[in-house]
Amino acid sequence: MTDATNVTDPTDTADPTRTAEATAAAGATTATGTLEYAYAVVREADAPHAALERVRGVAGEPVRAVRHLGLAVLAGPVPAADFDEGPLRERLEDLTWLEGVARAHQQVVDAAGADTCVIPVRMATVCRGEEGLRRLLASGRDRFATALDRLEGRVEWGVKVYAASAPAAEPSAEPSAASSGRDYLRRRSAQRRASEQRWEHTEEGARRVHETLAALAEGARLHPPQDVRLSGEADRNVLNAAYLIPHEESEAFAHRVGELAGLETALRLELTGPWAPYSFVAAEGNGRAEP
Amino acid sequence: MSRKLELDQDTVERDLMKLVLTVVELLRQLMERQALRRVDQGDLTEDQEERIGQTLMLLEDRMGTLCERYGIKESDLNLDLGPLGPLLPPRE
Amino acid sequence: MTTSTSPLAHRQIALVDLLDRLLAGGVVITGDVTLRIADVDLVRIDLRALISSVNENVPSPWDEPREPREPEEP
Repeated sequence: MTDATNVTDPTDTADPTRTAEATAAAGATTATGTLEYAYAVVREADAPHAALERVRGVAGEPVRAVRHLGLAVLAGPVPAADFDEGPLRERLEDLTWLEGVARAHQQVVDAAGADTCVIPVRMATVCRGEEGLRRLLASGRDRFATALDRLEGRVEWGVKVYAASAPAAEPSAEPSAASSGRDYLRRRSAQRRASEQRWEHTEEGARRVHETLAALAEGARLHPPQDVRLSGEADRNVLNAAYLIPHEESEAFAHRVGELAGLETALRLELTGPWAPYSFVAAEGNGRAEP
Repeated sequence: MSRKLELDQDTVERDLMKLVLTVVELLRQLMERQALRRVDQGDLTEDQEERIGQTLMLLEDRMGTLCERYGIKESDLNLDLGPLGPLLPPRE
Repeated sequence: MTTSTSPLAHRQIALVDLLDRLLAGGVVITGDVTLRIADVDLVRIDLRALISSVNENVPSPWDEPREPREPEEP
């Protein structure tokens, strides 16, 4: 393949590196043969070297900053046996393995983000060699730079709202001997009405919570409600939101969430954070975000 | 060897029952919803109300018994339709 | 309810919360997953088991023509 186009185009498959890979396949080892797992993007000048020394990556590997164009991607070499396309596909179906990778990934991002603005990269972002990492930086350079400016000094707080546990089930399981079919229907009707009302209150409350908190935040993102089978929560998740807060306002925000929790009796609120701004990497209006 | 086969049969039977009961539960919910709607509308005679009510009551009772017999939690009765979400709505 | 502003490192983080953030588009049970292997290499993963997150705008390089320069456009 000849490189007939702009040599700096990072997404051009006809670049010399790929040709080098092919010819190196004969036996010589090259850096392009390794897989690199990417965790986050930072400004080159802000690369948190000290923090990175204290963590290990998803494969227990050391994580370092690979620099390019004024940015750096925090990455670590991972074995192709686990992280190449085929094996990765299989591994990710194993919830235990997935959990291990997710937690290790988060710990790297968390450590790096303690004193530095980081753009978290989506999980299982694997590049071919350091060249691949540099291509990642080059292809997203403007977006990364804009995002770093936008997210500097901000953290993410997660708020989940659950419908408060329904009152103890009425003794409807064993219909009394005297209970007639009509009584049964009446009872069921009353139960449904009560349940509908509870749901309405829950929804209204969740809306109030979101509006209040979104007004306090620089940004808000709604994630889909969490599935009971994954969360193990008995109560229904009605709001699963992320709020972008300047870090010095974290305490005030957390306090406000506590206040809301006390006010909304039909709801149970759960606060998580502070997170690196995972949910805010995409600018508003660029998909994923919902007003 | 034969013990393993036994266990498999139990599981197969339980899974099948779970599927059957899920469908029955769906029908029960649909019928109940329909019945209550018609009661609200005043569509049914007292006699009809009574009979429908009895049927639904019996059905609910039977479902409970079957679930108990097969060690199935009523909250487990559901079918995942992928992008359409679960078959049955969340429990009240 | 957790109202402390202490770092997450000191608390057990729920897997669901992690996956909401690490997989674009949040987490739903079952379905197909398209996860990015960045650079020019993309991976589409079929998760029959439990997790999925969807971004149907991400093509696989193995079958389809190259996508335009901006890899993260939703």
